[in-house]
Amino acid sequence: MANILIDDKPVEAQEGTTILLAAEQAGIPIPHLCFHRAFTPEGSCRMCLVEIEGFPKLELACSTQVKEGMKIWTKSERVVEARKGVLEFLLAEHPLDCPICDKAGECKLQDYYEEYGHFESQFKEYKEKKEKKLGIGKNLILDRERCILCTRCIRFLREITKTQELGMSNRGLHSEIDIYEKEMVDNHYSGNLAEICPVGAITDTDFRFKTRSWFLKKGDSICPLCSRGCNISIEYHPGFPRIPIKRRVYRITSRENPEVNSHWICDLGRYTYSYLDEDRLEDIISNNSNKGVKIDWENALQFLVRKIKKLYYMKKTSRIFLIFHSSLTNEELFLVNKIFREDLKLEKIFMVDSNEGEGDDFLLSSERSSNRKGAQVMGIDSKLINLEEIANKTDILIIFGNYLLDHFSPGEIKTALDKIETTILFTSWKSELDTLVDLVLPTALVAEKRGSLTNIDGRVQYFLPVLEPVGASLPEWEILVRLAKELKMNFTYYRQFKSPDKIFEKLEREIPFFSQKKND
Amino acid sequence: MEEKVITQNFHLKNYFKMDVYLKHDGYQAVKKALKKMKPEQIMDEVKKANLRGRGGAGFPAGVKWGFVPQDVPKPKYLCVNADEGEPGTFKDRYIMSHNPHLLIEGIIITSFCVGIRQAYIYIRGEYEAIAQRLEQAISEAYEKGFLGKNILDTGHDLDIIIHRGAGAYICGEETALLESLEGKRGHPRLKPPFPASIGLFNCPTVINNVETISNIPAIILKGAEWFCKLGLPKDGGTRIFGVSGMVKKPGIYELPLGTSLKDIIYKHAGGMKPGKKLKAVVPGGMSAPILKADEISIKMDFDSLVNAHSMLGSAAIIVIDKDTPIIDVLKAVAKFYSHESCGQCTPCRIGTSWINKIVKRIVEGKGKKEDINNIERLADNILGKTLCPLGDAAAMPISSIVGKFREELESYVSGKQNDKKM
Repeated sequence: MANILIDDKPVEAQEGTTILLAAEQAGIPIPHLCFHRAFTPEGSCRMCLVEIEGFPKLELACSTQVKEGMKIWTKSERVVEARKGVLEFLLAEHPLDCPICDKAGECKLQDYYEEYGHFESQFKEYKEKKEKKLGIGKNLILDRERCILCTRCIRFLREITKTQELGMSNRGLHSEIDIYEKEMVDNHYSGNLAEICPVGAITDTDFRFKTRSWFLKKGDSICPLCSRGCNISIEYHPGFPRIPIKRRVYRITSRENPEVNSHWICDLGRYTYSYLDEDRLEDIISNNSNKGVKIDWENALQFLVRKIKKLYYMKKTSRIFLIFHSSLTNEELFLVNKIFREDLKLEKIFMVDSNEGEGDDFLLSSERSSNRKGAQVMGIDSKLINLEEIANKTDILIIFGNYLLDHFSPGEIKTALDKIETTILFTSWKSELDTLVDLVLPTALVAEKRGSLTNIDGRVQYFLPVLEPVGASLPEWEILVRLAKELKMNFTYYRQFKSPDKIFEKLEREIPFFSQKKND
Repeated sequence: MEEKVITQNFHLKNYFKMDVYLKHDGYQAVKKALKKMKPEQIMDEVKKANLRGRGGAGFPAGVKWGFVPQDVPKPKYLCVNADEGEPGTFKDRYIMSHNPHLLIEGIIITSFCVGIRQAYIYIRGEYEAIAQRLEQAISEAYEKGFLGKNILDTGHDLDIIIHRGAGAYICGEETALLESLEGKRGHPRLKPPFPASIGLFNCPTVINNVETISNIPAIILKGAEWFCKLGLPKDGGTRIFGVSGMVKKPGIYELPLGTSLKDIIYKHAGGMKPGKKLKAVVPGGMSAPILKADEISIKMDFDSLVNAHSMLGSAAIIVIDKDTPIIDVLKAVAKFYSHESCGQCTPCRIGTSWINKIVKRIVEGKGKKEDINNIERLADNILGKTLCPLGDAAAMPISSIVGKFREELESYVSGKQNDKKM
């Protein structure tokens, strides 16, 4: 540990750390543009210059290591003047097209001008004209006039993905970020470039001109699209109360977690957010007597309970067939196991997930369900192989998720389902299955519920709801608790589960794996 | 006549050829150093000689060698900086074209001293003929066994590779030179780490100027004491002054450090051209702050020039006469640095081009009085705030020109405006 003074405040800093990081830890932010804690310092923007006792020049906070007894000033007049000078330079050759720039509102150049600027520019010359919309990747557009040449994008591709699609060409004021010939940025993580760009130079075609960043609300969640469980922020417009415009998710951004995804997320997680809003099932649909009748939860659950109880009293629960998926939360998997295997003693419990996808050796896992590890830990991960065989001798089929469509053709599913008296589907999206079953019940998504997921490395991650569930949909844990209470088999046990936290408390007590995982 | 270290035999015909060079005591220093001296003795001798770097910064060469860690398993490299890009400087090209074997001798001794088996000469791209001459000299040295495996049966190996630059001023900056040599874009690196510990290909590296290395053989042969006496106590040896501009006899002059600028211009370079009067002198390459005509009685050594708020730099003296408008000088300086800024760091990239744009506007007759203050302010915003010395190299001469010739610039600006009104 090194004892240093930053702005006359005593700070104890890790030996070998930089001034910028030590100051940040002590709650003293030092402005920076090119520095990003995931990369080696570049020292080119010159925003982080600070005054150090005994040094004739201003020194870089981003690359200078702390030494015992160092005295540092981050807001002295000399430092502030230098920062203003750097900002004046940057803004002199900047197009200042904030009104049409997608980065406006979250642009570091804007922020620092607010903080240090508010000065009249002395720049009276002609600004350089440069390429305003150069496609550099499938979702990336580069505006070279806005670019401040911090080289974060180059360093990301050099140090993180190691694909090196971007470089710098030309010299001096004419330096520009460039691709090599026609080789576009093409990797699973290209979307991060727009996110780490401190200004509006690299923008995302997926977000370009769609909304202003300050209209968006932001909430923390976990990406459920593969078993990595990257930490994400969901940025959405909540909708307008008086006019019929519904909430809409505009983008997914990464949230730092050094243990899971560092600062990054993959393009699958970033761009596949339409599943949150599009084709969502909003109503409970009964196809029982007439096709497509909307009913309420009370009636739907009563219907299911009646059917199950009938078989239960006849001691024929072996004729109930359950299909679940491993994108359910730990709490929900626990309830599935409790209700169907332990209470009702079902024999036919199978897992049907979406197909495996392309993976890589960084974040994206080929296992696309978010809680496979959780299902494994609970010992309920037997996969369904033959639908039709099991459909024989079945009276009730309960399906969670519409992942059957990934493995069987609608024809095959119809043939199997026709043999079963009662078929019930819990799903979040409309699909071809809706008309093949007797009852369709809408469920909430990870972004809309509270709970925990166990990622591929066995890390248990908790999350809170960011969005309201659409329409009548409910989280599966809530549906399962209500079902269990209605079944009245173990009413006092299920009555205590007023929230997923209560379920997790039980989970910790009953499954040793979870009691060891007290992660955040 | 003063004693010379490097240029004494430049007048000999075909001195660049091995047989002529050998007839005039060539490679005696290599034989002495490799056969009779230990590396530590060589380093001591060079340290005692107070040989300061001739590239511009003036860092003592022996001390620089001493920074190279000897206990790392990595290979060590020597890079000879022959990128001679500083405007007004042309001394290294004379050394390399007239006396290439002296440089090779210096490289062999330096490499033996520091334990280097691979040396590079990074030569300015425009010096194509000189690069060929160096290649020729190197192959002669291989033939005679001064290079290659087991030099003079001492067990020391050394290879020299010539690498031609592609014409960027920035690649004369030592870390940008390393990047360029590694095949990357010539961008300066952050220091620390310094090249002595992490340099070329992340290995310990010595980087010296051509003239610095060319001084080594004489130090070995004649001793540090002799070398020191040539110059000043803290600043040993001679300097090759490259005089250009409005003098009768422009060219290179090897003179002891501490020779007065007045003597160089009037005694050695023959004084001003007929009908020309001295206006200003740039004493150490274009990056050095300008001196006015009444400041030339100064001694030409590192410390005296620092005291006069200028620098010895590459010892390239540019003589400017009274018929040259100072705005033309400023225009040339501003254009050069804005063209050669590598673009890596903000103040240099935008600052130099901003100043260039203002100067261009002034030249076009659209200047205003406040532009001159603005140039000074911008130069101040560059000075000391850039990643490498290029920013300072641009800001210092610009500040000094504006500071010392403000009246002329102001009258130029207002004069042009008056012309327009008429």
